[in-house]
Amino acid sequence: MAGVDPPRAEFQSVDLTNPFSEMKIENQGECLSISEITELTAVNSANFRDQVRAILPGSLAVIEIDLGDTRFVDSSGLGALFAVYRAATQCDGLILRLLNPRPEIQQLLELTQMQQLFEIVQR
Amino acid sequence: MKALLICPAIRPAVPQLSEEGPLATTPILGECLVGYWIEHLAALGALRVQVVVADRAESVRTALGDGARWGVQIEVTAVGAEPTAQEAAARFRPADDPDWLAAPNDIVLMNHLPGCPEQPLFESYAGWFGALLAWIPRALTLGRVRVSEVRPGIWVGRRAHVAPTAELIAPCWIGDQVFVEPGAIIGPGAVLEDRSVIAKDARVTLSWVGPDTFVGPMTAIASSLAWGSGLTNWRSESSLRVPDSFLLCSLAPAPAMADGGPSARAARTVGAPARGAAVPRNWIGEWPESTRHAPNSNPST
Repeated sequence: MAGVDPPRAEFQSVDLTNPFSEMKIENQGECLSISEITELTAVNSANFRDQVRAILPGSLAVIEIDLGDTRFVDSSGLGALFAVYRAATQCDGLILRLLNPRPEIQQLLELTQMQQLFEIVQR
Repeated sequence: MKALLICPAIRPAVPQLSEEGPLATTPILGECLVGYWIEHLAALGALRVQVVVADRAESVRTALGDGARWGVQIEVTAVGAEPTAQEAAARFRPADDPDWLAAPNDIVLMNHLPGCPEQPLFESYAGWFGALLAWIPRALTLGRVRVSEVRPGIWVGRRAHVAPTAELIAPCWIGDQVFVEPGAIIGPGAVLEDRSVIAKDARVTLSWVGPDTFVGPMTAIASSLAWGSGLTNWRSESSLRVPDSFLLCSLAPAPAMADGGPSARAARTVGAPARGAAVPRNWIGEWPESTRHAPNSNPST
């Protein structure tokens, strides 16, 4: 599969629904906003990762992942965030932000030292 | 001479500390709080110590035994609610009995370590951790020989294993039977209680790691209390139950393991693969003897 570009898709507003959680992905021009993530676990992390990577690189300048509603993240979720980070680093100048993580999610990011990879913003 | 100790009941400010047992038996640098107090009272001449317990009295009774370890006679009394010092005096100290230690050591509410009333233990996690760090130089009482100060500000248990490439930064306390893997950075301001395991390239700074706790490879424990899978940031007081055991978990056998019934056998069957995954493969026995920490040598060469 080397040399084959990943599939690309353009989303204006997509709701990803599964039996356990929902998340919302909005492409607002240069900004990709992902929100309403109630949890990021083995159940939905692959879906999350694949959907975001499918949009890259596009014409994006910023990816904002709003974790304000996220109550639970496990290692699969962290892996998905890392996969998005790796994909984003291959796009020149693309900024990846995590918004409003709850204190316990922030703790998990610090435990795994992943807070060094992301720009974390409280709004 | 007699004395009376009042064990603190559950304190809402520090719930994580009483999850595994009563606050009186919370491990502090390899000893429990009530143990430090009994040693202190014995040094003052107490021969009989009554311990009043409102929370899980049986755990306190088990931890103390009959007191022979300290050369005192211990009586553990279970009560329904934690009494104040005045209430305890009225209930347990006869007015006409002169054979008691002088105040304030006659009746003590164990809210602090001996001689440190200015550092309350249970009003906040930050206060508890600060008291712990301040106690390090005083923790090595005469009866304790399993931990020694190998360099200024660095205390290491005699049966601890510290990899040569691990870095120890003062002040830090590495308890007995602790295992520190290569590349780990311990300190400054780190306390590793007995039998904890710090995996490869992990970092522990300004933090306390409880007994029998596994800290996974490349993780960073900073400004936190880690005990089992519980992680509490003592600055923000935010708490987290870490869901993945390869990051942080308890190595202590579950209570169900203690009996030999069917549930215990089932728990062993289910738990064995997870524990095998969590414990480093070079756990005791695979490191060459030369890498083991020897007393009075530099553990971080």
